[in-house]
Amino acid sequence: MKTKHTARDITVALFLLTAFLTLFIPAAAMAVDDENCLMCHKYAGLGRYAKNEEQKAVKRIFYVNEELFKASYHGKLRCKNCHTGVEEIPHTDVKNVDCATDCHLNDPSTGRAFSHKSIVNDLRKSAHGPDGTKKPDLIKDLPKCKDCHTNKPYQIGIGKELKSMQFIKVCLECHESEAWTNRFYKHMFYRAQTRRSSKQVVALCSKCHADKEKMDRHEVDVVIGFKDTFHGKAIVYGDEDVANCLNCHAPYQLGFSPHRIISHTDSSSPVHPDNKLRDCRQSGCHADAQEAFANKGKAHPSNVMTERVDEDGVTIYQEEQEFQAWVIEMIALFYKILIIAVVGGLGFHRLADLYATHRERKIALRAAKLGRHTS
Amino acid sequence: MSHSKNERSFVRLTKSQRIQHVILFVSTGLLILTGFMLMGERWVIEMFGSAGDTIFYWRGIVHRIAGVSVTLVCLYHLGYVVLQAEGRSWIKDMLPRMSDATFAVQNVSYMLGFREARPKMERFTYLEKVEYFSVYFGMFIVIVTGTMMWTEQYWPKFWLDIADTFHLGEATLAALAIIIGHIFSVHYNPHVYPMNKAFIDGKISESMMKEEHGLWYERELERLATEKAEATSEGNGDNA
Repeated sequence: MKTKHTARDITVALFLLTAFLTLFIPAAAMAVDDENCLMCHKYAGLGRYAKNEEQKAVKRIFYVNEELFKASYHGKLRCKNCHTGVEEIPHTDVKNVDCATDCHLNDPSTGRAFSHKSIVNDLRKSAHGPDGTKKPDLIKDLPKCKDCHTNKPYQIGIGKELKSMQFIKVCLECHESEAWTNRFYKHMFYRAQTRRSSKQVVALCSKCHADKEKMDRHEVDVVIGFKDTFHGKAIVYGDEDVANCLNCHAPYQLGFSPHRIISHTDSSSPVHPDNKLRDCRQSGCHADAQEAFANKGKAHPSNVMTERVDEDGVTIYQEEQEFQAWVIEMIALFYKILIIAVVGGLGFHRLADLYATHRERKIALRAAKLGRHTS
Repeated sequence: MSHSKNERSFVRLTKSQRIQHVILFVSTGLLILTGFMLMGERWVIEMFGSAGDTIFYWRGIVHRIAGVSVTLVCLYHLGYVVLQAEGRSWIKDMLPRMSDATFAVQNVSYMLGFREARPKMERFTYLEKVEYFSVYFGMFIVIVTGTMMWTEQYWPKFWLDIADTFHLGEATLAALAIIIGHIFSVHYNPHVYPMNKAFIDGKISESMMKEEHGLWYERELERLATEKAEATSEGNGDNA
């Protein structure tokens, strides 16, 4: 009996204690955070300074805004789904999130656990991945998922972007759970939109591809001339109908993906000489483009200064490009000289004329004075 | 140098020439504006904000319309100088001659103070002839390269790069030549400031004609005198 009483007392005491402690936990946190990570991570000051791989000081923030997290793509996942290996508190040196991890969430299209694994594998094999790069010893330069996926991962304000969420009422005619429908609807709407403006795409790719030092290290042409092309200029004005980097180098319409970009020397690349014409003609952009338009010349000049030979021992593209750059430079030089000569000549003539007028005026004034004296 | 209002004047530009000139300068102005919009610095373009896309669209349309109109007026002018008497007289007086070199040397030495007076010059001064034929040269280049870029799909990309470089170079040259050469000589020239109204009313005053186109002035006076004499003799004939 006595032991029974003791056990019941402990149970009651624990219950009361739990109920009491619960008073201090925000109601919302309780709803999703059954792992209790927010107990610490809800504090905005949580973070520290650390050194990154390049020994530079970086600010690492461990604060999680619950509202934003819930509205994010991953808002329905548990923290430990991605942040694997967190077993004890306080936890230190937890591994970086691997996007190829299997989620504890079923993909409704297959019924199996959802995962980004296939995309991660595609990326590995692409020119941007450790298996596809020319320089496997420079892996730390290669872009990781988060280097490109920097756009806001939140589905907040979609109603505003859509002007109205009225259409969701149609969905709710059949689908009972409003929260689920809302989420699904926002997901579909968000994915149906272009994720980045062309200006943002160019800025993103340029982060590495306009970095001469980095590109030289990887023996890749540094892109310097895109901003001077018609496409580049139209993009600065905000025109979304001209090609940005991805429209030619990874056109979804032709079955390519930004995750599977490969070198232009590979025969399956959309910008390989054999495929370029199809690339230009896609989406009705240059529907009547001819072979020479696609292949005789470069869509954007790149300064290729290194001697390089492809698998077949051919360097023709590079030589042609250098010759072409030289021709363009000569024409520009011709005009520079002509402009200096014409502007200089006209300017000289104009100044001389002003000098003459000045003299004429002086003579006229003197004549007038003389006239006054004599009269 | 003031010119009295009721001074005798001569025809400098006929109506046809003035209309051709208006089409030429309005189109060229639009072409320069819409063309150099492509050369704008990023921060300037970004000031258009969300309207940039629309502005860019209309920039292209206006540039093409102005390009077509300038091409048409140039083709018309070619027909004009060949087929019409007025045009033939124009081109005849415009053709460069050896005397132009002499005038140039004499005029420059006068302006620099090495000569007592300006040389008496013809209907078109050497500078006007240079300007006029520069338009031929420039228009040929921008029309050919512009047409190439408009039909880009049929040309090798490298040729298009060449066309683009020529188009920009020629446009820059033309814009600067117009500003420094033409605008200065017809607007900021102290003789005519604020502007030489010939492009509106087609007239040139007797004093200015005497000063800047002395030989032409003498030629015109002679022609008027013979015309008058002929008219009188014809009149006499009628009377008889």
